[in-house]
Amino acid sequence: MKGIFSVLVENKDGVLSGISGLFARRGYNIDSLAVGETERKDVSSMTIVSTGDQRTIDQIEKHLNKKVDVIKVRRLDEPRCVELETMLIKVSYSQTNRSSLIEICSVMGAKIRHVSPKNMVILITDEPDTINEFIELVRSFGILELQRTGVIAMSKG
Amino acid sequence: MNGAEAMVKCLEAEGVTKIFGIPGVAIAPFYDALYDAPSIEHILVRQEQAAGHEASGYARVSRKTAVCVTSSGPGATNLITALATAYADSIPIVAITGQVNSALLGRDVFQEADMRGATESFVKYSYLVKNADDIPRIFKEAFYIASTGRKGPVLIDIPCDVQSAELKREFSYPEEVNLRGYKPNTKVNAQQLAKVVTAINKAKKPLICVGGGVILGNGEELVRAFCEKNQIPLVHTMMGMGVLPKAHPLYFGMLGNNGKPYANRAVANSDLLIVVGARIADRAVPKPENLEKQVNIIHIDIDSAEIGKNLGPTIPLVADVRLVFQALLDSDIHLDTSAWLEQLEQIKHSTVDHRKFSDALVNPMTLVQHLSEKMDDDAIYIADVGQNQLWSADNYIMKNGRFLTTGGMGTMGYSIPAAIGAKLVDPSRQVVAVCGDGDFQMSMFELGTIAVNRIPVKILVMRNTYLGLVREHQEKKYHKRYSGVELHKYPHYDKLAEAYDMDYFYADSNETLDGELDRFLACPGACIMVCEIDSANNTN
Ligand SMILES: Cc1ncc(C[n+]2csc(CCOP(=O)(O)OP(=O)(O)O)c2C)c(N)n1
Ligand SMILES: [Mg+2]
Repeated sequence: MKGIFSVLVENKDGVLSGISGLFARRGYNIDSLAVGETERKDVSSMTIVSTGDQRTIDQIEKHLNKKVDVIKVRRLDEPRCVELETMLIKVSYSQTNRSSLIEICSVMGAKIRHVSPKNMVILITDEPDTINEFIELVRSFGILELQRTGVIAMSKG
Repeated sequence: MNGAEAMVKCLEAEGVTKIFGIPGVAIAPFYDALYDAPSIEHILVRQEQAAGHEASGYARVSRKTAVCVTSSGPGATNLITALATAYADSIPIVAITGQVNSALLGRDVFQEADMRGATESFVKYSYLVKNADDIPRIFKEAFYIASTGRKGPVLIDIPCDVQSAELKREFSYPEEVNLRGYKPNTKVNAQQLAKVVTAINKAKKPLICVGGGVILGNGEELVRAFCEKNQIPLVHTMMGMGVLPKAHPLYFGMLGNNGKPYANRAVANSDLLIVVGARIADRAVPKPENLEKQVNIIHIDIDSAEIGKNLGPTIPLVADVRLVFQALLDSDIHLDTSAWLEQLEQIKHSTVDHRKFSDALVNPMTLVQHLSEKMDDDAIYIADVGQNQLWSADNYIMKNGRFLTTGGMGTMGYSIPAAIGAKLVDPSRQVVAVCGDGDFQMSMFELGTIAVNRIPVKILVMRNTYLGLVREHQEKKYHKRYSGVELHKYPHYDKLAEAYDMDYFYADSNETLDGELDRFLACPGACIMVCEIDSANNTN
């Protein structure tokens, strides 16, 4: 199963390595990890997505809670949270398929951020599944580079 | 006031009277401030690992957080094994390590070691102090974190220049901590308690299994009272030794491969197992997943991460052991366990222990039984690691003393420094370190500390001329291809004793054992006793 954790941590050095070390040491998967500041200067927020059996996901939550620098851990359930990810993808094109690439972007809500004679850098922010779909849609054009930020998530309501 | 003086003030405010360590340039300002602190006695050890183990022995017997100190680089890295040992056994220690000047951090200068990084998985929490004005807050937090919730070691790494820097504010030791990420839950949840009480009331064959957490949480008396009030029998893990004396009618022995076979059978026959403060690690229960199919399990622990880690579905109760058992004593529990106790007695008498020990030289089983029987009622027995540890745990006769050992890490060489720490808490209490000949040689440098400080600990060495436990493993698993396990008869212990002004005792037969043990235990000063053990002896 998938576990999405929204974790508030003290914004000081060593905290990120402590958390990633916990996952590495205990053999937990990190599918994605996104860190950033919050509305409070001294608090950072992490969204960690992991997969494992129920027992493992429960253990991850408990071990996160045990960390002194972890202020709060929330487990997010998929239907009841907003889950978004951003991707930059560089796709090659030719004169013949150029317009169909532009069309895919516009249908999928992706933005073309840069165009060079042979490729485009495209930006898309959406749910991870939609991003996966987008990748499949443009794969035949030729993917030159791809970068995803990892999921950030927030509970609804 | 400079940082170093503030550090001393903090230790004074915490009531620290003894610290264990070795100085170096990076911790020199602190040692200079210590010069003017008559209330804190510094015990100079011979190697930093011993400072950590001594703090551990001191903490376990005093039931307070203990302190060790090292310099930077190799001094600090030498401490890591002791920190890992304390972490595995949840022992409250504050470790202070000197560090190179903060401006040089990260440049790999002489004797720089990244202690926070190196100890990340071996301490409960760690600090790198960057500002002398943070010292009071950090010390307050460190002692608080080490001693609350699930206890454990906390590291304070402090650059030399921060120790020398003047505080900008006036020193004041905080009354309280303000840690928004650390609020250990100790209170008993009423709903969970009700479930526990219902399960107990439904049980016909309840059994309580205690681990080291009961002792760390000072819960022995309450657990004992609970067992007695409701006539519930008790088994324990190696770390949980000491809740009931061996002679107690509700006592059914130590669990595990190296414990009593009847204790394991008691578990298999129970219908409700109440696990308290135990990790249920592989040594105690080899296949916990089988256990949960047979019996209902209540799991009581201060650390919620222990729930479900090794044991499957249970009725969990996460709280302080004292609060739990106070609540259980106040609950309506009505049990009739007389038939169950009778069955257990039968199990006890019908289970044959197939283990046999050689009577050539000293029989190790007889040795541990006679030694622990002859020791003072409240004496402290510290078992090291190896075959000797398992013989000790299996045959030790618990009265009202303490049995200390390192169960989580199994660190060879623990017993001698831990005995030093234990003895310094209360010099009137008898303390015996029982170790193998391999163990002894991992900590024998501490004879220097014992001699100089005239610490009257007793060291009993079981000499089987091998790294016995590894030899046993090689015998069984590797067809007696003994590889790298032979110690021979060295050192000459009599000469070593003489070199450090210690008394020396010796037994090489069961006949001479008792007399020598009597003299060894009656000896007023520090002493060593060697018992020759046939290397053919195994643990099971
Ligand atoms: C620091 C450390 N190194 C290695 C080991 C692995 N080990 C476990 S028991 C043992 C042998 C102990 O020998 P000895 O002290 O003579 O005790 P005996 O088993 O003979 O009673 C060893 C090497 C360990 N537990 N700790
Ligand atoms: Mg040996």
